Amino acid sequence: MDTIIDRGAPKARNFEPYASNGGSIVAISGKDFAIVASDTRLSEGYMIYTRKQSKLFQLSDKSVLGCTGCWCDTLSLTNIIQSQLKSYLYDHNTIMQPNSIAQLLSTLLYSRRFFPYYVYNVLAGLDSNGEGCLYSYDPVGHCEKVNYTAGGSSGVLMQPFLDSWLGNRTAENPVTEEEALSLVKDAFTAAGERDIYTGDEVVYNIIKKDGIKTGVVQLRKD
Amino acid sequence: MFLTRSEYDRGVNTFSPEGRLFQVEYAIEAIKLGSTAIGICTPEGVVLGVEKRITSPLMITSKIEKIFEVDKHIGCAVSGLIADSRTMVERARAESQNHWFTYNEQMSVESVAQAVSNLAIQFSGDYDSKEPAMSRPFGVAIMFAGIDNNGPQLFHLDPSGTYVQYNAKAIGSGSEGAQQTLQEKYHKSMGLNEAINVILNILKQVMEDKLSPTNIEIVTVTPDKLYHMLDKDELQEVFDKLVPFPEETKASSSAAVSGTVA
Repeated sequence: MDTIIDRGAPKARNFEPYASNGGSIVAISGKDFAIVASDTRLSEGYMIYTRKQSKLFQLSDKSVLGCTGCWCDTLSLTNIIQSQLKSYLYDHNTIMQPNSIAQLLSTLLYSRRFFPYYVYNVLAGLDSNGEGCLYSYDPVGHCEKVNYTAGGSSGVLMQPFLDSWLGNRTAENPVTEEEALSLVKDAFTAAGERDIYTGDEVVYNIIKKDGIKTGVVQLRKD
Repeated sequence: MFLTRSEYDRGVNTFSPEGRLFQVEYAIEAIKLGSTAIGICTPEGVVLGVEKRITSPLMITSKIEKIFEVDKHIGCAVSGLIADSRTMVERARAESQNHWFTYNEQMSVESVAQAVSNLAIQFSGDYDSKEPAMSRPFGVAIMFAGIDNNGPQLFHLDPSGTYVQYNAKAIGSGSEGAQQTLQEKYHKSMGLNEAINVILNILKQVMEDKLSPTNIEIVTVTPDKLYHMLDKDELQEVFDKLVPFPEETKASSSAAVSGTVA
């Protein structure tokens, strides 16, 4: 006699290749510096994986990439960029300039147009004239050169804040390093109040001619 | 000759017991049958000059091309089997455009030479290609002239894939005599017009036909104009302004040559 086990209606299991691991990035460029900062919380849903994961990746002594979104994609993408930079150095005998890294990143992202890296990128650096430069991206490779930007889970919260402070700056009153740093801190403090995916700490890199200065600021841990 | 080189000059993949690749050496010999091409690198820019061999009066001379634009900042002069050179120039152009597409910057002259040299050694089908690009070495030598972040640059690439940077270089049938004269005439502070004058004079010496504005091609690569091929009027102008080398240096140079021979 046959035994019939009722397993209910057939269920389809969907392929879910992406995770959203939170994290935010803020970057501001000035006349002779660029500052890029990220929070250090890595999470998924109500779970915090770690409170000490920076999302900043130093690519050369003149450029730093901020990368958030799906953490596995972040790791893969940054590894690919690092190896491409090395190949470029060996092939062409020069360190890649930020504007070239910007284009490389754009083509790399767009090459995955129909299975994208789920990441938000901000590339900060000093260009060949020693001026601060900033490139902001969407996940499929649209690249825009900007003076300030916010991205990641709190990007939509922090961008209007930056707009109100920096939106109508002219060449006559450029943003100073101190002002930029305090804006970055304030933006993250505000984001930490409202966004559960942003918090714990802020790490920032200030890229200048004589090197990259790193610092940490504490945020809400809850 | 064929007794000592017996059999080892057939395949491109086989070294002779003395450690030579005869087919590659023969390819280098093929360059010496080609028309003369001269390149001079000056602080103001690079000049390339070539002779065009007019084998028939019915030939449309303006359609003979021996200097090509690789990108707006790089040109190249070729000598040898011109048909082979098309493949290599095409590779140079593709690599240069690809570099711009990926990195949003002009490719350096050395990197272009490197990229084309990769193609030049693909006759044996090793390296990363499954099929060889060619069944034999390319029978051309190429001079790449261009401007990049390091300033004006001149590179010479031969069929073995070797590339070397030069201040001044001559290739083709008249190259031996031309190289000798370049060595005497070249100096570090040479101007662009002086370089054009030297090239015209050398071409005049080594060409079998009489030098005229219709049987030469001149290209300059300068920081402001980048790649620029002299048109009919400009060629006529430099031709009219040609200052011959002083006789006494010619005499002394031939004396020096005979001196070294003796």
